Amino acid sequence: MPANRMSIRFKIRRQDAPGSPSYWQEFAIPYAPDHNVISALMVVQNNPVTTDGQRVAPVVWDRNCMEEVCGSCAMLINGVPRPSCSALIDSLTQPIVLEPLPKFPVVRDLLVDRSRIDEGLRRVRAWIEIDGAWDTHEGAPRISPIEWSANYLYSRCMSCGCCLSACPQFGPHSAFIGPAALAQVRLMNAHPTGRYDQAERLHAIMGDGGISDCGNAQNCVRVCPKAIPLTTAIGELGRQTTVQAVKDLFGG
Amino acid sequence: MSHPAADSRFLLRRLHSLLGLLPIGIFLTFHLWENSQSRFGAGHYNGEVVAFLRGMNYLPVLEIVVIALPLLFHAGYGLVVATQMRAELTRYRFARNWLYWLQRVSGIGILIFLLLHVGMTRIEGLWRVSVREDLFGHMQHLLSQSWMFGLYLTGLLLSVFHLANGLSTMGIVWGLTTSARAQRRFGFVCAGFGLLLATIGVHGLIGFLP
Repeated sequence: MPANRMSIRFKIRRQDAPGSPSYWQEFAIPYAPDHNVISALMVVQNNPVTTDGQRVAPVVWDRNCMEEVCGSCAMLINGVPRPSCSALIDSLTQPIVLEPLPKFPVVRDLLVDRSRIDEGLRRVRAWIEIDGAWDTHEGAPRISPIEWSANYLYSRCMSCGCCLSACPQFGPHSAFIGPAALAQVRLMNAHPTGRYDQAERLHAIMGDGGISDCGNAQNCVRVCPKAIPLTTAIGELGRQTTVQAVKDLFGG
Repeated sequence: MSHPAADSRFLLRRLHSLLGLLPIGIFLTFHLWENSQSRFGAGHYNGEVVAFLRGMNYLPVLEIVVIALPLLFHAGYGLVVATQMRAELTRYRFARNWLYWLQRVSGIGILIFLLLHVGMTRIEGLWRVSVREDLFGHMQHLLSQSWMFGLYLTGLLLSVFHLANGLSTMGIVWGLTTSARAQRRFGFVCAGFGLLLATIGVHGLIGFLP
């Protein structure tokens, strides 16, 4: 039996508090088939002893759904930003190197503060206004199957932040809202009711930290675990903002 | 939250993008095509090509408004844009990521090259009559030194790359190309344009050699 079939080895970048220095620790657990990174981390948590035999505080990380729809468990796994629930141990090279999701402030160990994603979504009004002082008396608006299937791709975004951590323009140094929020503008602007707020959303992304900060490195679309066509959204928003700028400058 | 008009930063960034093609990209294409006539020799080059340019109506105004000012703005704002780059080339080994990095690095390279290039041709020609009267001879003298030929070749290739790659990302920025397939296809079109332009440029450089 090869060595990596006898144990699962982790090398984890740990950090005790926000702003404190990080350090590495290594852990090993007995091999069992069909582990993912989270289920293996749970085994580590049961008995947090490093390979040096030192008993340490259990590793902290974020998780929720375990089926790659909530986005909370994203981290850097062997240098790649991805959700840890769908990172299967049997497909990873060992020792498996775990680091907190880059570009976001570390809270502790592998737990990061991703509230900047929510701020971006708020800024671009990534929702549909359905409440008002009127009664529409109408059923759900009709969307053609072709349009629906294109929109559906963007509705799969789970705000995991992988695209943002891979983006060379995004980070603490810049105000860029990043591809995830931009893709939601694409989605909401396509909705028959959301369309009414298109100009407001476009103005939001034409401001500081908006679409102009995209450098077209296109890492986002390569790392997105949900295969969302982020760069297509950015191209379509390029077109929408071009038209919007013409309207702003010349009227119409 | 309503804005009366498009954000000024957005407009500046779009202006930066537009100026890269119009007039700078058009000028570069014209410039390389003009200089590819170097192969016809000193008589044709000095007597026809340079004489035509020097006889142009409103030449100083054109040089400043159509070439110098757009270039200065494109370069200056480009430096501002480049400060936002935090490229991780080894972590993300994707072609577009490398092109993204190279676009910014080539911009800085071109800026240095252009300061030298404009300095030793157009600016030097202001007070040295020999440069003005026999530009072919001056270029031949310069390019005969291998390191200078290397400098010009590098500056040329960086400029052509910057234009071709800039054109392909311009398609995304302005919303001409949206789907991944369209972006890839247009990328190849721009690469073809770049190769053609580079060939014309190198042809022009070789034409100056004795």
